[in-house]
Amino acid sequence: MEVVLDKFEAFVGVNFFTMIFAWINLVILYVFLKKLLWKPVKNMIDSRQKEIDDMYSEAEESLKSADEMRAEYEKKISSADEESEEILRRAQRRATLREEEILKEADKKAKRVMERAEEEIMLEKQRAINDVKDEVSSIALDIAEAVIERDIDKADHEALIDEFIDKLGEEV
Amino acid sequence: MDINVSGAKIYFRIPFLGGYINITQTAVSLLAVTLILIIAAYFLGRNLKKRPGRVQVVTEKLVNMLYGMVEDTMGKHNLKFAPYIGTLFLSSIVGTLLGMTQIFRSTTADLSVTLAWALVTSVMVWYSNIKNFGFKAWLKGFTEPIVVMTPMNIVSEIAQPISLAFRHFGNVAGGGVLTSLVYAALAMVSNLLFGWLPGLLGNIPFFTAGIPAFLSIYFDLFSGFVQALVFSLLTMVYVGTANPPPEELPKTSDKSQA
Repeated sequence: MEVVLDKFEAFVGVNFFTMIFAWINLVILYVFLKKLLWKPVKNMIDSRQKEIDDMYSEAEESLKSADEMRAEYEKKISSADEESEEILRRAQRRATLREEEILKEADKKAKRVMERAEEEIMLEKQRAINDVKDEVSSIALDIAEAVIERDIDKADHEALIDEFIDKLGEEV
Repeated sequence: MDINVSGAKIYFRIPFLGGYINITQTAVSLLAVTLILIIAAYFLGRNLKKRPGRVQVVTEKLVNMLYGMVEDTMGKHNLKFAPYIGTLFLSSIVGTLLGMTQIFRSTTADLSVTLAWALVTSVMVWYSNIKNFGFKAWLKGFTEPIVVMTPMNIVSEIAQPISLAFRHFGNVAGGGVLTSLVYAALAMVSNLLFGWLPGLLGNIPFFTAGIPAFLSIYFDLFSGFVQALVFSLLTMVYVGTANPPPEELPKTSDKSQA
């Protein structure tokens, strides 16, 4: 090796060793820059871009699903309104029906009670009339016995008295 | 006053097969670029968060721009080339800007470097063409549209990397030459105007302070950026053309027949 000072290459010239050196440097730079700079930075940019894209599409999706859910709820609420109205209407109808039924039954019951009372009254009247008849006839018989002092046919007497009392009863 | 227009300084030479291998300033600059970029990439690419800080926002913006540019010029199916394009662009621009330090020489001011990069582009184009269309179809492409065009097609194929290399090299090296010329001219004007001043005062080139800075903004910053962009863009276009979208590719069976 020889140290050369104050010597210069030609201004326009090609030094093959410098060329090889340039190639070696270019290859080293390519490998290192690719590993240290281009790849990591590009990956970072791409991954961030992807993240942003994902976020946007996710937001869009959730917006869409929220819209769908809202529409569904609105539909449900309106149908519930209708349903409650229907229930109310049905209940009202049933109530009116029941009311009428109850009234009718009460009417019927009252009529029945009245009828039975009338029958009882009639029966009682009849019995009273019969009692009075019997009493009067026996009293009349006694009186007649005392008056004529002799026994007349008991059956004849009773027939006579009944006739009399019937006339009396009609007058009463 | 002498102005030396020369290439990279030779630090030492290694005897090799009867000749010499020159270890030059450019090789040191290349190493510096590699180290700077790897260290920068390490700090920019670590601790990446979903919620980015200020530095990460800028880094992501630039990486996104790179991928967007590759997608626009080469198509979505060629996104795998983005890391190489980015590496090429950063190597070029950092290599050019390194010349501003005055410690290192711009790597791109050496034809060897730009030619090496241009040849990589060409090899990628040739490889892609042969892979996608078949070797025979690639050779046959030289005779199109008519057979007479074959020599011109071959020349244009060879001219492609050369023009790519010389464009970049010429811009950066030419800028450097121009800057040193302006420095010399300003020193001369300075000497003419203030040479009569006594002692050391007469030797100070007053005009060289400040004025070349504006030149540097154009030749180093602007030109360096534009040339890096042009080199990367042309690489994208060439390689992109050789890698058409999958649906435009011929069927596998066509390759052997063609």
